[in-house]
Amino acid sequence: MERMQTERNPGIRNQWWLALLIAAALFAPFVISEFYLAILGEALIMSLLALSFNLLFGYMGQLSFGQAAFYGLSGYTVAMLLTKVHFNFWLSILAGILMAGILGLIIGFFCVRLRGIYFSILTLAFGQLLFFVIYKWHNFTGGDDGIQGVFPPEALKSPVNYYFFIVIVFILATFLLWRIVHSPFGYILKSMRDNPERTEFLGINIGRYQLIAFVIAAAYAGLAGALWAPFYRSIAPFALMWIKSGEPVMAAILGGPTTFFGPIFGMFLMTFFHAWVLGFTVYWPVIMGALILVIIFFLPGGILGFAQEKWKARKTSAK
Amino acid sequence: MFLQTQALTKEFGKLRAVNEVSLEVRKGDVHAIIGPNGAGKSTYFNLITGYHRATSGKVLFKDKEITKLPAYSRCKLGMTRSFQITSIYPKLTVYESVLMALLSHRKATLSFFSSATRFFSEEVWRVLEDIGLADQAKTLGESISHGDKKRLELAITLGTEPDLLLLDEPTCGMSPEETEITMGLISKLSTERGITILFTEHDMGVVFGIAKRISVLHQGTLIADGSPEEVRASEEVQKVYLGGTA
Amino acid sequence: MSFDVLFNQFMSGIARGALLFLVASGLSLTFGVLRVLNFAHGSIYMLGAFVTYSIWKYLLIPVVGFYVATILASLTMAGVGLLMEFFLLRRLYSRGWPEQLLATYAVILILTDIVKWGWGGEFLSIPRPKPFTGAVFLFGFPFPSYNFFIILLGLALVVFLWWLVYRTRLGDIIRAAASDREMVSALGIPIPWLFTWIFVLGSLIAGLSGAVSAPFGAIRLGMDIEIIVECFAVVVIGGMGSLPGTLLGSFIVGQVYSFGIMYKPELALAFIFIVMAIVLIIRPWGIFGRPER
Repeated sequence: MERMQTERNPGIRNQWWLALLIAAALFAPFVISEFYLAILGEALIMSLLALSFNLLFGYMGQLSFGQAAFYGLSGYTVAMLLTKVHFNFWLSILAGILMAGILGLIIGFFCVRLRGIYFSILTLAFGQLLFFVIYKWHNFTGGDDGIQGVFPPEALKSPVNYYFFIVIVFILATFLLWRIVHSPFGYILKSMRDNPERTEFLGINIGRYQLIAFVIAAAYAGLAGALWAPFYRSIAPFALMWIKSGEPVMAAILGGPTTFFGPIFGMFLMTFFHAWVLGFTVYWPVIMGALILVIIFFLPGGILGFAQEKWKARKTSAK
Repeated sequence: MFLQTQALTKEFGKLRAVNEVSLEVRKGDVHAIIGPNGAGKSTYFNLITGYHRATSGKVLFKDKEITKLPAYSRCKLGMTRSFQITSIYPKLTVYESVLMALLSHRKATLSFFSSATRFFSEEVWRVLEDIGLADQAKTLGESISHGDKKRLELAITLGTEPDLLLLDEPTCGMSPEETEITMGLISKLSTERGITILFTEHDMGVVFGIAKRISVLHQGTLIADGSPEEVRASEEVQKVYLGGTA
Repeated sequence: MSFDVLFNQFMSGIARGALLFLVASGLSLTFGVLRVLNFAHGSIYMLGAFVTYSIWKYLLIPVVGFYVATILASLTMAGVGLLMEFFLLRRLYSRGWPEQLLATYAVILILTDIVKWGWGGEFLSIPRPKPFTGAVFLFGFPFPSYNFFIILLGLALVVFLWWLVYRTRLGDIIRAAASDREMVSALGIPIPWLFTWIFVLGSLIAGLSGAVSAPFGAIRLGMDIEIIVECFAVVVIGGMGSLPGTLLGSFIVGQVYSFGIMYKPELALAFIFIVMAIVLIIRPWGIFGRPER
């Protein structure tokens, strides 16, 4: 009996288009203006948030409406360490991610006791609680004024340099997540999404693995927040709001939650679209809401999901 | 003592689905639980595997009381089950499904950075060949035939390398040919791999062929328990189940 | 801590619990029958409050104006519910819970901007209507008589829902549909029609709650998320899909909020979360809920 190669996921080296994108990202500062470079940087940072959301949604099957809480908490951690204590930049970034991870552990502990819609609303609830705490704690966090004057170290102060910093971190973080998602742990997540009961009866403590995934997702959201605060030079409570949590949700379902790169693609589209929309209106939530409805009804698998279906259909009809 | 239940009972409100069933499964046996529909066979299974919490009574496995253990812990002790409504992974391939079981059993689940498909290749192929699904290894679970899905579930359970395998109506919905193949497979698992098998059925011919011990449930109560000859000869069983004919 | 102060806080808690029950019961009702959790329920509540304000302001009828506005706003929200069910929810019954949740989340986004566009970002308020403008003295402490109105309304709703669910034919259908939808459909009862009416009723209740909440607190953006989070706490504590559970949960959350405000106002919400967290640890399916298996 001939044993076939069952690698369903070709090595990442096979994707020539990936190399092309990386090259494009690295050449961008020499080709586009500072304004667009800033949007590109934002897209990369927010893509990490989208990936964080999709680890839980596309791979594990749970909807989190509270990823912004980890993003915001990390941003605040970095902002406060840099402005109030003049802490080391690199350690601050790590501290931000760590704080996000710890919060993920605490919140996750409660959230994984529930499934489906209850899990989702609990993530929203905790997110709002954290937003509320930060908003009200005027003395410590600056309340609705937020924290200003958050600067990266001298070497990274120029927009181009910080942009390269973002690109490198993004590539490394994304590669790491790719490995995680294709590892045995990643398979457990997928199996929990596909048939949680079957997985439970194979000896898997569902809650435990969901918690681990939740913490990883929180850490990635934290990474995004940690990169954001010095990038934007400030942080405000809005970063933790439920509306902010909706952005990675939209990006993931727009791009395609069943694919690894879908959320990144969706977030890039969304970031540029958002920047364009803000040019003439402040009513972004209604546009987000309308787009989510359009995607649900007309493009259920997202753009990349749709493309993947078409490609598969072509392959089977060609057989 | 391998598997034993003591006065195991399950009530759903006022309905007593399983009524003080005390039964022992011996290591190495192929043991069948039979009874008409609604006899409580699946519920009994659910109690053993931890799907339901018992209202009263005990379940003991390998000399340990497991009555209060959650389902996943019981599985880790060496028992795996199949479901009456076939439970497989629609979006994973046949290969990946069996791999899942092995990853869980061999405790490789907290590996984060290695590619999953590099693990346990030998073992997965062996299971697929034993079950006869090797040629469909790359097919998604949702795309294979109903009979193959049942066999896939069996393959998945084998991936956990269990000591006790509980099969809930393994030939449900199968044609006579498929039933024979499946029963042959189950027999082989017992003799070649030494797995203790507990299964439910209501197809009588199937059961008398390969079961070493048979227990009969009727409306949640155990009415007979013994070798196939003893059960066949039991008056109670004949009255309730076989319709009065021997 | 003297008894009269405690009693006063207790009564405040009852009032708050009553308001919560008003909102949460609508949510429980639609979830129990339709099996869809209307995330946007809080948005209808909020919209109900804002619409009440506008109608009240427009009518300028003394005394009765508020009540008329309340009734009109509730009916309007019932209409919004009708539109939502007909054009949106109907197409989602066959989809999974993620799509249903995402769609209702999208509605929250849309409605929040509609409110922002229609009424701006300010806080609005309606003074307490006659005859509830004054206070009743409980053990020497003034207790707003409007709170009694809310409590009475809550009680009325309990009685109404109990009567509806346990004493009418519709109630039989509701309870049957909640446990076995296919059976009800097989009996010839048009499920889509039933769903629409239940959802409209739920929206009516949400709108009514929003309307009566207006003189109770401020009308502002953010009401939608706040109330849905509190409703959720009610359901987690009291038990999923259980009307007695919703009642108990509302009571508990109302009391925790009231005493929390007395102790440390900024942390009142946090106290509710602590109670929710405790329930999630010891009994994840709620006090009156039942474990899934």
